[in-house]
Amino acid sequence: MKQKNSLPAVFLTPAIGILAVLALVPTAYAIYISFQNRELSRPDGSFVGFANYADLFSDRRFINAIGVSLTWEAVTVGMTLLIAVGLGILLFECVSPRMRNLLALLFLVPVILPRVSAAFVWKFAFHPLYGIATYPYKAITGEPLDLLSNPATALATVALVDVWQWGLFFAVIVLKLLETLPPQPFEAARLDHARTFEIYAFIALPMLKAPLISLAFVKMIESLRAFDLIYVMTRGGPGIATETLDMYAFSQGFIESGRISYASSMAVLMMIATTIAFTFIWKRVQ
Amino acid sequence: MTKAKTLVSSIAFACLLSTGLTTLAVAAECSGTIKVLAQPRDGLTLLEDYKSEFEKLSGGASFEIDYLNENDRRAKTKADASTIGKYNVYYIDEANVALFASAGWVAPLMDYYPAEYDYADFDPGRQKVATYDGKVWFAPITGGGDLMVYRKDLLEAAGIAPPKTLDEYIAAVKKLNQPDQGIYGTALRGQRGSGANVWRWMPLFKGFGGNWFDGKTPVFDGEQAVKATETYLELFKYSAPGSQTGGWDEAVGAFTSGQVAMLIESTPLVGMAIDPKSSKVAGKVGYLPPPAPLTGGGYGHGLAIGTKANKDEASKACAGLFIAWATSKENETRRLEANQFSELNRTSIMTAPKFAELYGPDLGQALADTGKVTAVNFWQSPQWPDLGDRWGIILEELITGTRTDIKEGLDELDGFAKDLVARSQ
Repeated sequence: MKQKNSLPAVFLTPAIGILAVLALVPTAYAIYISFQNRELSRPDGSFVGFANYADLFSDRRFINAIGVSLTWEAVTVGMTLLIAVGLGILLFECVSPRMRNLLALLFLVPVILPRVSAAFVWKFAFHPLYGIATYPYKAITGEPLDLLSNPATALATVALVDVWQWGLFFAVIVLKLLETLPPQPFEAARLDHARTFEIYAFIALPMLKAPLISLAFVKMIESLRAFDLIYVMTRGGPGIATETLDMYAFSQGFIESGRISYASSMAVLMMIATTIAFTFIWKRVQ
Repeated sequence: MTKAKTLVSSIAFACLLSTGLTTLAVAAECSGTIKVLAQPRDGLTLLEDYKSEFEKLSGGASFEIDYLNENDRRAKTKADASTIGKYNVYYIDEANVALFASAGWVAPLMDYYPAEYDYADFDPGRQKVATYDGKVWFAPITGGGDLMVYRKDLLEAAGIAPPKTLDEYIAAVKKLNQPDQGIYGTALRGQRGSGANVWRWMPLFKGFGGNWFDGKTPVFDGEQAVKATETYLELFKYSAPGSQTGGWDEAVGAFTSGQVAMLIESTPLVGMAIDPKSSKVAGKVGYLPPPAPLTGGGYGHGLAIGTKANKDEASKACAGLFIAWATSKENETRRLEANQFSELNRTSIMTAPKFAELYGPDLGQALADTGKVTAVNFWQSPQWPDLGDRWGIILEELITGTRTDIKEGLDELDGFAKDLVARSQ
């Protein structure tokens, strides 16, 4: 009995140990230096209390980055799920099982592509002079279309690439989930003359509520790590129109200033905010 | 007499032995792999074909070069040099030499640069930007100033003489801009960065008489900066699409693909524009010094000795030997033979008969003429990348229209500069 009780500890200890080294040590160090004024070029630093945190709230780039990050999160998560559900249902309804498998294979290709490669491919595709994606517009109107240089369209254009990668992948998952559902509720609804929209809105999707929520959480976490895509396609520009919090923190820490304490204070705030937000959403969902 | 002979022989033998031991010691120290962090350059790629030559020279050492594009290279070198110090040799440039030198991330080059490799042979302008606080920190791998590069066919068809003044240049750009025929007046750099949009804006600012600092007091927030910005934004109306958030690659790509009439860019553009392998307009290209009163943006990139990865003197000497060999006359001659114009830095190479044979006497003259107006346009301080990058963001906002008030942008930069100076003290 005693042996049985100690088994979880035996399995958990190495994992927790590794996690402590890999996650807790850097986190604790980030918190520690966020209260200092350290810069890369000056390894000596002194404690400045909450000065870095106070400075953040009068920093227009930080305020802007919060807005951009929230917009990015809402747009990419919302659009990915919308495309995934829409496309998944369309494939389930209109395509033969053999064709579905072939399309599912094709839909997996974008997410297999490394993010940086995908970003470079799309950046070139959106080039106003040579890009294949902007060519039809140029051919029809005679005017070049510069989506990545326009502050009004740059974030949406990058988000399109993110949704292209993840929306198609999630559509395959939704399709496979629909295939696992029992057919009886659908047949019963059709006998009661329910329309296709009603069948999915009131029967299929409620049955898939739990896996769809899981998908939403996965995408929310993934969207927080969109640094590579945005960095390659716009570098946070034009101006600061696509500068997310992680990009601004990296910029302050390594590209522009070398202000690692200031960058750490941003990282700590992001960690606190995401922990609170995810806990709140998780509890609400449960 | 015999005793004297024995004494002389003994001293000579001792000297020989000690020299041999020293050589052996260096050879033994140079037996590892010298790690280099650089940005892609044809000259460095060419070096990789001669690895065995360096192995023989160094007594067994090899080298490995990791490449990152300019902005990423700057970020990575800064991160590496200030933390783990994995690289023995860093590729640094005029904009961050002050930061690397003052932070102690690189060692004074001349302490470890073998004299026989003749550092004094490098172009004096490049030597100047490699020097900070009275010491030389890198050996140039590329550099130069600016040239106005134009399409002779388009200017002739429009009846325009190559502009000599900025007013003539602006008028020509406006006249030559014909988007409906796929030709744009010019191509500028809009991408944020002290080495991107700010680099092309600075010749206007300095040309109009602007200055960055007076001692530790910022003095740039004045009418010269406003006028320079207005002129830059005016020219952007005629700049090729994609350049609003593009850098060197986009501007040069637009010109060499035949979509731009004229532009002012760093001198390596000429080598690319006249080479049929990289240019659709080779044979139609003319070049002159930038129109007055613009100053040319003097720049230089090169290789420096990292201090963290080279913990002892022998390692530093080894890195110094690699840098000397990589930038030697022999390797520059190879670059000349491979038609790598932008990789040439030595006076002896640029005045060689082979150079004139390859590029004609006009280019040599244009380079000599532009040398007279080439200047250090940026603020030579460790804080420059920080200040320059901040102005780059504001300038990109002005270019793309998310900000319209130039003075307000300059005032914001002025506040940032004061804070920057206060933090550095």
